Amino acid sequence: MTTFRPQHLWLVPVLLLSSCLSSRSDRIVIGSKNFTESLILGEIMAQQIEAHSNLRVERRFYLAGTYICHQGILAGRIDIYPEYTGTALTAILKKKTQGGEAEVYQQVKSEYERRLGLTLGPGFGFNDTFAMEIRGDDARRLHIRTLSEAAAYAPHWRAGFGYEFMERPDGYRGLAAAYGLRFAAAPRIMDLGLLARALQDHQIDIAAGNTTDGLIPALGLLVLQDDRHYFPPYEAVPVIRLETLRGHPEVGEALAALKGKISDAEMQRLNYAVDGEHRDARQVARDFLHSKGLVP
Amino acid sequence: MNAFQYMLQNRAEVVELTLEHLWLVGVSTLFAVLVGIPVGIAIAHRPLLNKPVLAAANIIQTIPSLALFGFLLPVPWLGDRAERLAILALTLYALLPVIRNTFTGIRGVDPAVVEAGRGMGLTDRQLLFQVELPLALSVILSGVRVAVVISVGLATIAAAVGAGGLGEFIFRGLAMVNNQLILAGAIPAALLAVLADLSLGWVEKRLRPR
Amino acid sequence: MLGKHMTAAAANECVIEFRDVSYAVPDGPEVLAHLTLQVRRGETLVLLGRSGSGKTTTLKLVNRLLTPSSGEVTVNRAPTRNTDVIRLRRSIGYVIQDVGLFPHYTVERNIGLVPQIEGWQQDRIRARVQELLKLVGLEAAMASRFPHQLSGGQRQRVGVARALAADPAILLMDEPFGALDPLTRDQLQREFLSLQQSLNKTVIFVTHDLREALLLASRIALMEAGRLVAVLAPQEFLESSDPWAAAYVSAFENMPDRAGNRGAS
Repeated sequence: MTTFRPQHLWLVPVLLLSSCLSSRSDRIVIGSKNFTESLILGEIMAQQIEAHSNLRVERRFYLAGTYICHQGILAGRIDIYPEYTGTALTAILKKKTQGGEAEVYQQVKSEYERRLGLTLGPGFGFNDTFAMEIRGDDARRLHIRTLSEAAAYAPHWRAGFGYEFMERPDGYRGLAAAYGLRFAAAPRIMDLGLLARALQDHQIDIAAGNTTDGLIPALGLLVLQDDRHYFPPYEAVPVIRLETLRGHPEVGEALAALKGKISDAEMQRLNYAVDGEHRDARQVARDFLHSKGLVP
Repeated sequence: MNAFQYMLQNRAEVVELTLEHLWLVGVSTLFAVLVGIPVGIAIAHRPLLNKPVLAAANIIQTIPSLALFGFLLPVPWLGDRAERLAILALTLYALLPVIRNTFTGIRGVDPAVVEAGRGMGLTDRQLLFQVELPLALSVILSGVRVAVVISVGLATIAAAVGAGGLGEFIFRGLAMVNNQLILAGAIPAALLAVLADLSLGWVEKRLRPR
Repeated sequence: MLGKHMTAAAANECVIEFRDVSYAVPDGPEVLAHLTLQVRRGETLVLLGRSGSGKTTTLKLVNRLLTPSSGEVTVNRAPTRNTDVIRLRRSIGYVIQDVGLFPHYTVERNIGLVPQIEGWQQDRIRARVQELLKLVGLEAAMASRFPHQLSGGQRQRVGVARALAADPAILLMDEPFGALDPLTRDQLQREFLSLQQSLNKTVIFVTHDLREALLLASRIALMEAGRLVAVLAPQEFLESSDPWAAAYVSAFENMPDRAGNRGAS
């Protein structure tokens, strides 16, 4: 390169790029879906790994859904993300659920390891399954605690569901069939965040939320019991790339320490802290880890 | 902190997503060129084919990109990996400009030159590679340039189906209502498009026949 | 290859022959009807006629840019139908009105193209190019110029040089000087004449200009509406009583002298 010519400008971005690229091998990328609970779990895992290894952790949060996260981890763009066993089984592996929590976990883990180069870490300790919620007052007035009991009142009720619940094979359609639910009109489809409000304001009478929703205790909602065991178990677990695990066993150890540390009620509280109290997710995760003695 | 500071602070991530983006654009443009140029040559030499082929490419272009990504999701093998379907969709969208410009470029070669060449005893292949293609190159490249600029923009949508790239910043930023993140995706994407346009335009100018 | 000295027999040898050749555009009208014609070695046969008379079509049948709908065209006694078309074309020089020089090649590469694809050595090509440049009256330095840097006259000289590069025995020329200004045209016609006298190629020359025909032809083949009307030597043509020939002659006689002509041909 004796004279500097315009064509040589090409080297500039190339050099810049290469200087920015650190070796991928000392970096872990953690993904999460685009709702609070997933975000909190992602943040908890990230801080746990940061505290217990020398790895740099990158966060790719708010990925728009199960498919996106799955594609990301398959392609190696992310190494870990929080998933639910039931979702993995039905939406990703496209199988029907059989058996209880432990069976589903095993089934997903072995299929993931066999076919996809992925594995599951130990469960966090809670289930986030669909919660068919009704107002506490109604529950007390009508003396209903289970879905079967509620089915009788369905023709008088308006239902409100989110997109995913309406579309998923393990969502509304299957539920309606399992319990013989027939509503007066077609269920209203609305943003998940608005469901609780709509329920409170009597715009709807039953909503499909999540068992770990922070607003359940806050608004005094009742979660109807799934007495026919229609909903598959949705145990919250980390999905990890096998390659990442092999290359960095300390990741496996760090995540193993999280086993069973979050109960259903605790997850509800964590969710409420972020959604209801508008606290920073990072801080909430840090306080949680500290309270469990996992970080100083 | 403004968007540029954010990008600087997270430059490793920005670079990583930019590389993913470039990969999507690069591979799909390559495929579009490998398929589109021969097709363009074929229809330039066979007038009967040109209307149906150009019409087909045109129709593909009119399909809304997000819809095309959506159609391809349930297709086996393609839908299993978001990159595959993204690259296929991007390739399809890049086809029209490449085919059309190849067609126009070859048809635009002075007929006297082609006649002289044929009369001299150049084989069809020699005529194509020594006369038609070199003279059409600038126009063909212009089509490639359009294809690349379109692809850079469309590849941001590919993130919606999980193919990664700078669009991921945008979608995540939208979900978090975080403008810095949105810009961290939008600015590099826009810069890439401008850069591609300028650099390919420069090459095009150099290749224009006198 | 063939020098100035020919045996009498060779001089009368038929190099190109049309036997009852007709040509119709696919799904279209008949453009050439029942042409029977012989072109002798070393002659300059001028195809003369109006637009649409079929003269360009006739020319293109020789190097198979068009194929006859019926009848047979033979070159060197081999039917063109049976000859490898590429070999045929490479053995025939082709000069067209718009010249058709490759704009992205230098003059040298343009002229040397056929030798190059025929596999000649680089130095042989270079030497040949220089030889041809001299032959067509261009400076040696022209070799490195590009077509867009040349005038119309210079371009056509290069076109002729290109056609002669592989030393073909046959030359096809389709109104080669038609797009040039009268002075240049005049010059090139005279140079062509002297070139022909030294090279003795078999030339088929298409034109609609009688004066050009009279100047250059050993024989004039008059064509009208796709038919061959008469084949006459220039002097005979002028004195001919054939109605079409006479019409042509009188049309040209009615025009003012060439020196004052502002290029109406």
